[in-house]
Amino acid sequence: MSSPAPSSAAPARPHSRLWLRVRRNPVGVGAFLTVCLLTLLVVLGPAFYRVAPDATDPLNILAASSPAHPFGTDELGRDMLSRLLYGGRVSLAVGLLSMLVGLTIGSLAGSIAGYFKGWAETVVMRLVDVFMSIPSFFLVLVIVTVFGNHPLTVVVTVGIGFWAQMARVVYAEFSKYRGREFVEAMHALGASHARIMFRHIFPQVLPQAVVLATLGVGWAILTEAALSYLGLGIQPPLASWGNMLQNAQAYLYSNPMLAVYPGLFIAVTVLSFNVLGNALRDVLDPRN
Amino acid sequence: MTAYILRRLLQGVVVLFLISAVTFLLINLAPGGPTSAVSLGRTAEEREAVLRQYGLDRPVLVRYFDWLGGVLRGDLGKSYNQGLPVASLLAQRMGNTLQLALTALALTALLGVALGVLSALYKNRWPDHLISSLATMGMSVPAFWLGIVAIIVFAVQLKWLPSSGIFTVGQEFSLADRLRHLAMPAGVLAFTLMPNVIRITRSALLEVLTSDYVRTARAKGLSERVVLLKHTLKNAMVPVIAILGLITTVLFSGSVVVESVFGWAGLGRLAIEAANGRDYPVILGVTLLVGAIVVAVNLLVDVLYAAVDPRISHE
Repeated sequence: MSSPAPSSAAPARPHSRLWLRVRRNPVGVGAFLTVCLLTLLVVLGPAFYRVAPDATDPLNILAASSPAHPFGTDELGRDMLSRLLYGGRVSLAVGLLSMLVGLTIGSLAGSIAGYFKGWAETVVMRLVDVFMSIPSFFLVLVIVTVFGNHPLTVVVTVGIGFWAQMARVVYAEFSKYRGREFVEAMHALGASHARIMFRHIFPQVLPQAVVLATLGVGWAILTEAALSYLGLGIQPPLASWGNMLQNAQAYLYSNPMLAVYPGLFIAVTVLSFNVLGNALRDVLDPRN
Repeated sequence: MTAYILRRLLQGVVVLFLISAVTFLLINLAPGGPTSAVSLGRTAEEREAVLRQYGLDRPVLVRYFDWLGGVLRGDLGKSYNQGLPVASLLAQRMGNTLQLALTALALTALLGVALGVLSALYKNRWPDHLISSLATMGMSVPAFWLGIVAIIVFAVQLKWLPSSGIFTVGQEFSLADRLRHLAMPAGVLAFTLMPNVIRITRSALLEVLTSDYVRTARAKGLSERVVLLKHTLKNAMVPVIAILGLITTVLFSGSVVVESVFGWAGLGRLAIEAANGRDYPVILGVTLLVGAIVVAVNLLVDVLYAAVDPRISHE
């Protein structure tokens, strides 16, 4: 080690190699920053833009953008910018929480099935087959119809639409690791099943779970938006990007921008999560 | 081979049975299920009478096996709201959905494979980047919003295409009219389906292009065109066909939304109408039908796959 090593070959520490791959992926970094920016915007935006999302301005119905209403107004004269900010809170929250629901159910079911095999495997994986065979949107539709469309129900339902995919990935990984030497060693040391599963195997699965979960947020936001657009998701007067589009289609001739803005926000948000997910896959799992 | 097909068939039946059980029980055990829907604005006696009329006074398992027995005989029950047999409602809508779905599928196959091939041939150059951004967009843009924007552009502004419906009411059948109505919904649906096909085609082609037999073909002095068309593409198509089951589920999920945007009277619209009107037998029927189609497609794909590719073992 007498000659100074060039910095690009900075070796060996896995941490710095990870950082190197992150730096080589400017698109992914951009997506991450966009997600942060959008989150900041909807969380802090209403504190600065102090217009109530449900205040009507009857003299300015379906108005184009103006200093008073930068993004115009809807059919009841409500301020679009304010509704977009508040609606964004709902859409992002539903997306994130749904993903957490799917992640939790899917990881638990998948790890139990992959680790214990036997009848647990049969039960879980047949259920996964069932859930993968019903197009997710029909499934979500059935559940929302019978359990109602309270925002929390929507969250759980959309999460349930996503668990099977997660379970499949976690299951495959657990099946792979359960026979490995380090697991046998832990058995020999007397570690409990739960400890082996969650302290030793799950960390190996984490990169894949994180990638799928990131893509899952995008999927969940899209699904919530579609449900709300169809009148089966988040109910007015609570705004979400999806239900803002519900009425907009009726006013395509008078104010088409009403239909454009919310969709643009959905598209940019989901795009960022998808790009971020793909970038994370490149960074965390370079074999792919 | 026969044993394999039989086993897959049996598995398919089991999955279908489970689909029926899961949806039926979900609907009937939920707090907002059919029994609660009839109690709105009725006295206790009226409620009893209505429950008895629809057979809802019996235990849920009895009703399930009763319904299942009916399904096996082709009787899916009666719609609460329209009074018609569910089976005939499904039959009415099925044709419209098939028209839309098959057109979208054909568009997806043609464009998706072509773009995937281009992407692979220009790997890491600008056409590849452009196409993969297009694919990511297709995954991210909400289908209903894309539909609305298409309506704004092509129906409201340019007035080229009709904004909704399957044909012009009161006009005689004409293929041109049908196609004009199909263009936007099928295009939007295809756009959302394409990302999967593009990705799989690209990666499958890249894998085949680096294989030994392609190198041999090139070494023999065959032209790049022959190598691509006769030696590579056929093998690269195998994984594409394998995801047909996945595509079918995405197709049906997408058709619910797209049919609603464009007022297309298909199965997806029927599902939404039933969901809004709490028409449980119809919801159950649509879900079961769609599930059955997906299971059948998956079965077909697996069997074809095993028949076509001798390397896949049937153990």
